[in-house]
Amino acid sequence: MFVDLSTIGLVWPEFILILIAAWIYVGGTLAPGRTTWNVLAWSTYLVVFLVMLKNERALWHDVAAGLVAINGPLIVDYLGQVSRYGCLLLGLLITMIASRAGAERLATEVSGTIMMLVAGLMLVCRANELVFLFVALELISVPTYVLLFLGRADRASGEATVKYFFLSLIASAMLLYGMSTLYGVADGTTVISGTAEVPGIRGALDRLPAGHTSLFLIGWVMVVCGLGFKIAAVPFHFYAPDVYEGTTNINAGLLAVAPKVAGILALIRLVLAVVPADAAWGWPLMWVLAMLTMTWGNVCALWQQNLRRLMAFSSVAHAGYMLIGFTVALVAPAAGGVGATLLYLTVYALAGLGVFAALAYLSDERHEVDGVAELAGLARSHPWVAGALAFCLFSLAGIPPLAGFWGKLALFTGAVRVVLAGDGGVSSWLLVLAVTGVLNAVIAAAYYLRVIGVMYFTAPVTRVAAPGGMGAMLGTLACTLLVLVLSVWPGLAFRMADAADPLLRQARPAVVAAWRMEASAAFAHDGDLAGRWQKGGD
Amino acid sequence: MDEILNILMILVPALPLAAAVLVAALGPRMLRARSHWPVVAALIGSCLASLVLLWHVWRQPSGYERVATYWTWALVPDAYAGESGTQSVDSRIDVPPGTATPADSARLAGSSPRARDFAVDITLRLDALTGIMLAMVTFVSLLVAIYSIGYMHGDRGYWRFFTYIALFVFSMTMLVSVSNFVLLFVFWEAVGVCSYLLIGFWYEKPAAAAAGMKAFLVNRVGDFGFMLGVFLIWTTYGTLNYHDTPAPVRDTVAASAAPVGGGEAAEIVPGVLGSQRIATGAYVGGGTGLAICLLLLLGACGKSAQFPLHVWLPDAMEGPTPVSALIHAATMVTAGVYMVARCTPLFTASPDGQLVVAAIGTFTALLAALIALTQFDLKRVLAYSTISQLGYMFLGLGTGTLAGISAGMFHLVTHAFFKALLFLGAGSVMHAMGNVIDMRQFGGLRRVMPRTFWTFLIGCLALSGIAPLSGFWSKDAILASVHARVEVLEHELVRRQGAAEPDADPAHGSAGAVELSADQLGRGAWAYRLMYITALITAFLTSVYTFRMLYLTFFGAQRIPAEAGGRAHESPGLMVWPLLILAGCAAVAGMVLDQSYWNGTHPFAALLAGTPSLTGAVASTEALGAFHIDIAAVSLLVAVAGVACASWLYLGDRRTVHRLRAVMDLEGWAPAGGRANLLRLAQRPGVRGWNQWMERMRLGWLMHLLVELVLLLALILSVPLLLCRFMSPYRLSYGKFFLDELYWGLVVQPLRGIAWLCSVLDDFFVDGIVNALGRLPAHLGTILRSTQTGLVQFYALAMILGGLMLLVLVDQQLVSRVGAWLAAIMAGCGAW
Repeated sequence: MFVDLSTIGLVWPEFILILIAAWIYVGGTLAPGRTTWNVLAWSTYLVVFLVMLKNERALWHDVAAGLVAINGPLIVDYLGQVSRYGCLLLGLLITMIASRAGAERLATEVSGTIMMLVAGLMLVCRANELVFLFVALELISVPTYVLLFLGRADRASGEATVKYFFLSLIASAMLLYGMSTLYGVADGTTVISGTAEVPGIRGALDRLPAGHTSLFLIGWVMVVCGLGFKIAAVPFHFYAPDVYEGTTNINAGLLAVAPKVAGILALIRLVLAVVPADAAWGWPLMWVLAMLTMTWGNVCALWQQNLRRLMAFSSVAHAGYMLIGFTVALVAPAAGGVGATLLYLTVYALAGLGVFAALAYLSDERHEVDGVAELAGLARSHPWVAGALAFCLFSLAGIPPLAGFWGKLALFTGAVRVVLAGDGGVSSWLLVLAVTGVLNAVIAAAYYLRVIGVMYFTAPVTRVAAPGGMGAMLGTLACTLLVLVLSVWPGLAFRMADAADPLLRQARPAVVAAWRMEASAAFAHDGDLAGRWQKGGD
Repeated sequence: MDEILNILMILVPALPLAAAVLVAALGPRMLRARSHWPVVAALIGSCLASLVLLWHVWRQPSGYERVATYWTWALVPDAYAGESGTQSVDSRIDVPPGTATPADSARLAGSSPRARDFAVDITLRLDALTGIMLAMVTFVSLLVAIYSIGYMHGDRGYWRFFTYIALFVFSMTMLVSVSNFVLLFVFWEAVGVCSYLLIGFWYEKPAAAAAGMKAFLVNRVGDFGFMLGVFLIWTTYGTLNYHDTPAPVRDTVAASAAPVGGGEAAEIVPGVLGSQRIATGAYVGGGTGLAICLLLLLGACGKSAQFPLHVWLPDAMEGPTPVSALIHAATMVTAGVYMVARCTPLFTASPDGQLVVAAIGTFTALLAALIALTQFDLKRVLAYSTISQLGYMFLGLGTGTLAGISAGMFHLVTHAFFKALLFLGAGSVMHAMGNVIDMRQFGGLRRVMPRTFWTFLIGCLALSGIAPLSGFWSKDAILASVHARVEVLEHELVRRQGAAEPDADPAHGSAGAVELSADQLGRGAWAYRLMYITALITAFLTSVYTFRMLYLTFFGAQRIPAEAGGRAHESPGLMVWPLLILAGCAAVAGMVLDQSYWNGTHPFAALLAGTPSLTGAVASTEALGAFHIDIAAVSLLVAVAGVACASWLYLGDRRTVHRLRAVMDLEGWAPAGGRANLLRLAQRPGVRGWNQWMERMRLGWLMHLLVELVLLLALILSVPLLLCRFMSPYRLSYGKFFLDELYWGLVVQPLRGIAWLCSVLDDFFVDGIVNALGRLPAHLGTILRSTQTGLVQFYALAMILGGLMLLVLVDQQLVSRVGAWLAAIMAGCGAW
C-alpha cells in the first residue's frame, strides 16, 4: 500500500539480522559448532550497531531535534532510534550469556533464534501500523517458544513451554481482537499515529461522528490485555512464575526482558497514541493495573525459595512500577511519565539481565541453580559473581544511589509532580499510587536483601560450580558495568529518557513532520536530511 | 610582603595538618618509630612562622589587624532579613550615650536595610591576640612533641599519638586564627575531638575510655551553650564575621541606599568585632547582651573547665602525660579564655555578664584549690591547679578593664610555661616510677632525679607566685586589676552619693563605671571586693598545695615503688631538655614581658592592647602596667606564708599534718547523745544522789521523762552531726565536693532512666507495630500465592475474566448495555 523502497531502506538492519539468522540456521546444520557461530552472531550485532551508528548520523541529528517522520508502517523518532540500539545491545548480551546454552548440536538454533527475536524487537521499536506491530510482536513470540523448547529436555521444561505457548496464544488473540476492533471503529485505518494528510487511528476517530465509543473501549482494553501479558501485569502474569521455574536461567532472563521491552514499547506506541486527549477512563485502568501488579508481585515474591520464581514475581512487580508511569502519562501527558517508564525499563532490563546472567554463569544444562539456599557462601567461592549479583539486586531493590533508585525516583517524582500541580480528585489517587509504590519498594527490599544476605552471611552448603562459561561471566560484568554507569551518571539517562518521551515531545511546540524518506537517504553518509523534513501536524 | 604574610598565616596551621595526614598515611606501615620526624619538623616550621608573625605584629602600630580571606566555604544568600528593616535594628542596638551619635548608629543600621548573606569565608586573621596565642601554642607544642619522643618511646600507638598531636596543633592554631564564629565553633569542636582521642589514647584501659567519654559529654553541654550563643549573635548582629566585610553587591537597590554618614562608596557589613562596630560601640546590651555573654561563657566553662563543668579535666589525666601538659594545661583549656578575651566588646556591653565571668572564675579558683589540697594523685593535683589558675584568668577577664584582660592573657602565657613544665616533670617522675602516680607510694626523689627536681622546683615557685618568677608577675597583675576595679567602683559610688544628680557630669566620672546604674555599682563594688579577698586566699592555698606536692614527691625518706623495678633513674636527655627550656621560660618570662618594676614598661600588655577588640570599647582605667608595690607585697607575703605553712606541715615528721587532718575530719565528734552516755551520767556521784532522792520521793517517773526528753533532743541534734561526720571539711575536699556524685544522681541516672524508657518503648511498642506491619505483606503473599495453581486452564480463565473486569472498569455502562443487548437478543429469539 504505502510501502516503498525508502521503507525497506529504513529497516535494512532488521533484514540483515534475519538473513544472518537464517544463515546461522542453515549453516549450523551443515557445520555444527558452537564457537564459530557465536562469534558470527556477536560480530553481526556489533557490525550492525556500528554501521547503523555511522550511517544514521544525520538521522540522529534530526530526531534529537525532536523531528518525527512517518514512513509507511514505520515511525522514525528519537524513541525508536534509541530503543533500536538498545535492542541490539540486548541481543549481544543475551547471545553472550547463552553462549553455552542448549546441546552442542542445537547451539546454532539458539543463537539464530535470538537474532530473529532481536529483529522482532527492533521492528516493534518503530512500528506504527497495526498489522506491522502484530507481526513484529509475533516475531518475538514465536522465537520465544522455540527457545523455551530448546532450553532443556525434561518434563518441567516441556510443561513450561506448553503453558507459555497456550497462554501467549490467548494473549495474542486478545491483542488481535482489540486491534481489529480498533481497525473497525476507525473506519479501516491501520496507521496508529498519523499526520494531517494520512490520519492515524485517533485522527480518524476524531473525524468520525460519535457513536463508536463503547466498541472503541472494548478494543482498547483488549489491546491492553494482550500487551499486559507481554509485560506480565496482573492478572495476565500467572504464566510467569511457572514458566520461569520450569525453564533455564537463560530463558528466564530472556523472558524477563525481551517481552517486557516489546510490551512497554507497544503500549507507548499503540495504547497511549489512540487515547483521546480528554479521556477520563484511561488512567483508572492503568492505576488499578499498577496497584495490583506491583503489590501482587512483591508480596508473592516474599519468602520464595526458588530463585527463578522469586525473580518472576519480582519482574511482575517491576511491570507494576512501570505502569505508574503510564498512569501519570494518561493523567498529565506533560509530566514525563513515559520518560520515567523508559528510564525504568532500561535500568530494570540491565539489572534483571545481570541477575539471570550471573545465575546462568553458575548453571549448565545438567544442573540449574534453583534455590536461594544454593547461593549460600557465594561471596567466598565466587566473589566477583556474588558482587555483581548483589549489585544488580541492590539496583533492583532501588537502593540509592544505584540506577534502580534513579528509575524509581523518576517514576514517583512524576506521580508526585502531578499531585502537587493537580486538582483534588486525581491527585489524591496518584498520591495513593506513589505511596503504594514506595511501600512496595520497601517490601521488595526484603526479598532482594535476603538473597544478598544468603550469599554473604551464610556458610556454604554445597560447592557451587561455575560451568556457565566466560560468555555468561562477561555478560554479567557488562550488565553490572552498565548499571554502574547509569548509577553514577543518571543525568544522561534522564535526558535521553525525556527526549524519547513522545508525549513530552507533543507537549512541546510541535515539530511533527511528514516526510517521505528517499531510499538513498537511508544510506547517505552525511546528507542534509533536515532540509527535507516538512512541518506537519497530527 | 603581603604575599609572604598570607603564606605564613596559612603555613602555621597547614604544616601540622600536612604532618598529620602524612603520619596517618605512612605511620603504621613505613614510619613506625620514626613517626615523630614529620611532626617535629612541621612544628618547628610552624613555630618559626608564628614567631615571625608575632614580630611583624610587634612592629606595627596599635590596632593592627590583618584579615586574609582564602575562599568562601558556605554561602546562603539573603539569609538575614534584619527583621524587616532599619528601625527594628536601630532600636535593638543599645548605644551607650556619648560614644556614638545617632547619626553613627543610623549609618550603621543603614547598612543593613537589605537582607544579608550568610557567608562562611575561610578567613584567617592576624592581630596581637592571635599572634601571641599562635606563638605560645606552637612553642609549647614543639617542646611537648620533643619530650614525647622520649616519653612515648616504644608505645604501640606511637604513630597514632603523633598524628593526633599534629591534628591538635592544626585545630588549635586554626581556632585562634579564624575570623568567624562558625569556624571558631568548628575548630572548637575539632580540638575537643583531638582531646577526646588523646584522653582515650590507651583505650584498652576502661578508665581512659570512660574519661574520654566524660570529657566529650561534659564539653557537649558547654558546646551547646556556645552554639546557642553563636545563633544569638547571628540573629542580633546579622553577621558572624569578626571583621568588617564588604556588603554583597547584587542589585541597584544598593545605590539608593548609599551610606548616610560617610562618603564611602563601598557599603560595609560591620563585623561583630570589626573596627567599624568597635569605633561606634554599637553593641547590644540588656537582656540579649547578657544572654549572649552567658551562653558564650557556658561554652568557655566547658572548654576551660570552669565550675560547674570542670569535672572532666581531672579525669582527663588518664591520657598520656605530654597530652595533659599540652592540651589540658597549656593550650586547649585556654581556648575559653581566648574566646572571652576575643569577645571582650560583647562582654563590655554587659557589665552583669562580666561580673558573672569574674564570679565563676573566682569561685572555681577557690574550689579547685581546696580540692587540690588533699589529692594524692600527682597529676590530679596539677589538674585542679590548672582549673584554679584558669579561674584566675577568668577573674582577670571579668574585671572588664584593659589591665584585667591583659593580666588574664599574661597569666595564660606564663601559666602555659610553668604548668607545662610541672606536667612534664610529673611525667618524668611517672616515667621513672613505672607509671605510679600516687604520691603516697614514692618520696624523697630529689637525689634520684635531680634535674627533674630542680626544674620542678622552679615550676612550683612560679605557680606559687614567688618573686621574681613568672607566676608572680601575672598573678600580681590580676590581683592589682581586681583591686583597681574595686577602687574605681567605690570611687564612683561615693561620687554619685555626693552629687545631687547621679549623672550631672559624666565626663568627670571614672571611665568604665559611668554607664553603670547605682544598683550595678553597689553590687559590683561588693562583689569585686569579695573576689579580691577570695583570690588572695586562693593564692595562699595555691602555694600550700604546690609545696605539699613538691615535698611529698621529692622530700622525706626515699621511697620507690616496686613497679619501678629498681630502675628508677633520671629521664633521658630528650625529656630533660624541654624541661630545662620550659624552666628557663617559667623563670624569666615574667620579668621579660613585664618590666614595670624597673622601667615602668609592660611590653606584653602594650602589645596585647593593640588588638582591635581591646581598643576602643574597653575602658582603660589607668596607665597600663603600673607596678603596685602594695599589692605585690601582699600577694608575695601570702605566697610565702603558704610555702611556710606547707614546709611546717610536710617537712620533717608529718605528725602535725595527721593531727590537722584528724581535726578537719571531725574525728571524735561522734554523736554526744545516746542512752549509754546518759546511763553513765546517771552513775556520776552528784547525779546519782539526786537521782536516788527522786526515786525515794516517788518522783522517779519525772526523772525518766526527763531522760527520754534529753534522748529525743540528742537524736535530733545528732542528725547534722552525723552529716558532718560524712561531710567533714577533709572529706569534702578529698571527695572533690562530691560534685561527680551529685551529677551522677541528678543528671546521669535520670537520663539513663529516660534512655531505658525509650528503649523499652522502642522495643515493644514501635518495633511491635513495625513488625506487625512487616508481617502483613507476607500473609497477603501466602493468600495470593494460593492462586498459583499451576493449572493452565485457570490461568486462561483468570486472564479473560481479568480482561472483562477491566472492561467494566473502563466502561461502567457496559453491563447495562450488554444486558440490554442480551434482552434484545432474547426478545428476538422469542419472536423467532
